[in-house]
Amino acid sequence: MIRIAAVGDVHMDEDVLGRYRPALEHLPDRADVLLLAGDLTRHGTESEARCVAAEFGGLGVPVVTVLGNHDHHCDQVPQVVKVLSDAGITVLEGNSTVIDVGGVRLGVAGAKGFGGGFAGRCASEFGEPEMKAFVRTTGAIAERLGTALRELDCDVRVALTHYSPVPDTLAGEPLEIYPFLGSYLLGEAIDSAPTALALHGHAHLGSERGTTPGGVRVRNVAHPVIKQAYSVFHLSETELAGSSTQVSGAASGVHQ
Amino acid sequence: MSDDNATVKPLDEYAEAAVQRLLTEHAQVAEQGITVVRRDHTLLLRGEVASPQRRDEILRLVTEHFPDVTIACDIGVTRAPEPSEVEELP
Ligand SMILES: [Fe+2]
Ligand SMILES: [Fe+2]
Repeated sequence: MIRIAAVGDVHMDEDVLGRYRPALEHLPDRADVLLLAGDLTRHGTESEARCVAAEFGGLGVPVVTVLGNHDHHCDQVPQVVKVLSDAGITVLEGNSTVIDVGGVRLGVAGAKGFGGGFAGRCASEFGEPEMKAFVRTTGAIAERLGTALRELDCDVRVALTHYSPVPDTLAGEPLEIYPFLGSYLLGEAIDSAPTALALHGHAHLGSERGTTPGGVRVRNVAHPVIKQAYSVFHLSETELAGSSTQVSGAASGVHQ
Repeated sequence: MSDDNATVKPLDEYAEAAVQRLLTEHAQVAEQGITVVRRDHTLLLRGEVASPQRRDEILRLVTEHFPDVTIACDIGVTRAPEPSEVEELP
């Protein structure tokens, strides 16, 4: 069994320092890995990233993250990534990492994702250049996520995004803003590989559970949604057996 | 429309949009999860934030921008306890 702890949208700054620490103290007893689903900071500054590093660094389990839209706000992504990496946190964007959990290889492919909406109610690559650029941005991110998932050489696959791959986990958000909360293209990417679980954040008013059209379980782990320091998911042996029969590619470690 | 003071900003849909954008785009706040509800002469702010300081800052900022409006603040601070249960995914 693989035990996955996950939380998103922690929006760290100095005023939140220490808030998660009491609950994180026992994390190594409860989980094999911690996945952070983006929006680690309020504005994406280097100093806020240092708060993230202080809160989620040195936990005794591997920590893997994607960035969120807030982490991009101040255009300091390289600095933010460096601070997190220096703290031992693996930052994914269109790539993957493999973690050995007691002999079972857990593969995590991650990307921030982007908006565009969901099948039948989505934006199209048509009209003004700004509109095309918006849709192309999501398309390119989703394509890299799909490739990263398919090329993972592992026993169990998890997809980690900030934006949502399905509308199910947005329930509670106003329908009008769904196109800014996720895209079906992310779901399509997740369904292109035998993914065991998809985790995302971003939708603070959304709900916990959903499924992709291909049957992959989706969980919104945004902190205001789960209302706890992190959620823990146990992926059972049968799931591992099912997904290990379909591995492809020969990649391992972190791919850039 | 209020007739006793021409400078009073009316509490209309534009005010609602203004508050939402103010909270998101203001450098010290950057909060997207706040719901703004208009009730007669009251603006109700609802949602959850990460710290009491953020809630106070939101209230201060909205009060400053709408000095003539009664602001009701029902913003909570998201709890962060250790999970009491795990989800088994068979
Ligand atoms: Fe967020
Ligand atoms: Fe977000």
